Amino acid sequence: MGPDGGPGDDGDGPPHRLELERADGSGTTTVTARAAETVLEAAERADTHIPFGCRTGACATCTAELLSGTVEHRREPRALKPRHREAGYVLTCIAVPTADCRLRVGSDVAGELTENPWR
Amino acid sequence: MNSTGHDSGTEHAHHDHDHDHEGPGYTTPQAAIEESEPEELAYVMGLYVGTDIDAPDFLAVVDLDPDSATYAEVVDRVEMPNRGDELHHFGWNACSSSCHVGGLERRHLVIPGQRSSRIHVVDTKDRRDPELEQIIEPEEVFEEDLSAPHTVHCIPGGQIVLSMLGDPDGELPGGFLELDESDFSIDGRWDPPGEIEMNYDFWYQPRRNVMVSTEWAAPETYYPGFDLDDVEAGKYGRQLHIWNWEEKTVEQTIDLGEEGMIPLEVRFLHSPVSTHGFVGAALSSNVFNFHQVETTPGDGPGRYAAEKVIDIEAREHEDWDMPVPGLVTDLLVSMDDRYLFFSNWLHGDVRMYDVSDPMNPRFVDRIWAGGHFGPDHPIEGERKVVGGPQMLQLSLDGERLYWTTSLFSSWDEQFYPEEGELGSVMLKADVDPRRGSMTLDEEFLVDFGEMPAGPARAHEIRWPDGDCTSDVWQ
Repeated sequence: MGPDGGPGDDGDGPPHRLELERADGSGTTTVTARAAETVLEAAERADTHIPFGCRTGACATCTAELLSGTVEHRREPRALKPRHREAGYVLTCIAVPTADCRLRVGSDVAGELTENPWR
Repeated sequence: MNSTGHDSGTEHAHHDHDHDHEGPGYTTPQAAIEESEPEELAYVMGLYVGTDIDAPDFLAVVDLDPDSATYAEVVDRVEMPNRGDELHHFGWNACSSSCHVGGLERRHLVIPGQRSSRIHVVDTKDRRDPELEQIIEPEEVFEEDLSAPHTVHCIPGGQIVLSMLGDPDGELPGGFLELDESDFSIDGRWDPPGEIEMNYDFWYQPRRNVMVSTEWAAPETYYPGFDLDDVEAGKYGRQLHIWNWEEKTVEQTIDLGEEGMIPLEVRFLHSPVSTHGFVGAALSSNVFNFHQVETTPGDGPGRYAAEKVIDIEAREHEDWDMPVPGLVTDLLVSMDDRYLFFSNWLHGDVRMYDVSDPMNPRFVDRIWAGGHFGPDHPIEGERKVVGGPQMLQLSLDGERLYWTTSLFSSWDEQFYPEEGELGSVMLKADVDPRRGSMTLDEEFLVDFGEMPAGPARAHEIRWPDGDCTSDVWQ
């Protein structure tokens, strides 16, 4: 995962700094993701609330926008369609950072995946 | 709570195992009407899943006693221990179908998390102060190759069956999970795997050896929100499955076609001898009648037919590019089998039909409240109603109809984004079964926007003594 190891490297890669920017404009929280930890797991360990649902990548409740950095999904992010992935959306419940990241989080982000189709 | 066991005429005349009524519930639907007291409280799902409010979903206890100082208020809340559940539909550990099982009580609520697949058991021994008793964690559910629990029905013999909409990955097929009522452990799959692909609601009529199940979609399809591309790709359901109840096998699948897109709630008539029932097709906005058209050799369910009996026309709206479908999201049958009620969640009306002739429902009345065509303030001087009539519940005597306004958190966000900011309401109509009419009760509004942690969505409603959408008779 991480290319160069470093402090905290347990063999699966170094910890990464995650800046979680609230989509509702209420501020930004910084947390640290340990090696192989998902964004959601890192946020929970830091007592930082971000929305989630199924925790298996099926429901999109935890959708975030990756503003910078890189992540690898642990498994297929089934709730995201190709157009969503191309637009930079990720699922925090299964997204493992592979670099320091900045993500836009909060319930408003999941709402961006769909719109009222009749309107 | 238990009835006196008196025979109420025609309803019971065909009861081929007239018995000492030992178990929970009422001997007959007519007994439920005659012997029940007016409901004094309701259990209602309250939701925070998918919002920025850092709180778990909860079971709300709503005071329905007009003489109480806290009438129409949430007087207690049982918070679940986790966030992210999306508590949705829920049911009792036992109902009138367990009439032969002495020692059973209608006491425990089985409350699944639709998104988390976590199943909660709440003890309502103290009706006004229920307590969380037990939890089945998602991993235990996934071991049965199932996820996304939906409808909970108690079944004869003291078991509990849940419809499950997906596999552990949120993909198809779904199936059914069986719980043991004695300790709320997982017994395993109720159905042989592979009988169906999609699943949603179900209702069984044990004396007719039949169950009918309906179809929403794979969890991965409906969880994120509604997308017309998924409809065009055939990812949403339009079939009914007719099961042999004893054998747990699908004997017949009925394709409802374009007019039956997304068949959701399904209700048999309450009479245990009837083979008639109704299902609401949400997207096509129609109501179908289904019933047995021929018996088959042996004691199987026979052959069923389904026919559209109510068609809700889409309506032009000045702010919409395309006509707005009604979106029939919930329906129920009164305990005397005379009236059908259903909600048009997008339009904003709740309708009442006389179904004395179940093949020819007769419109009798409706109430407009919220939605995209009803009044924003159906009660003058009260808060704004966002969302339309959705989950319904009717008193056992058929005289009070209640409803909430939330459908599913991600779908609410699409169609009523204001609901997340303002929360749901619970409303009530006074029903006159003799005249076939409804009147909005302007003294009754439960404001789920005023919860301690912040505005909540309100979903399904249950009474402690059983209700028109949970009790089945054997």
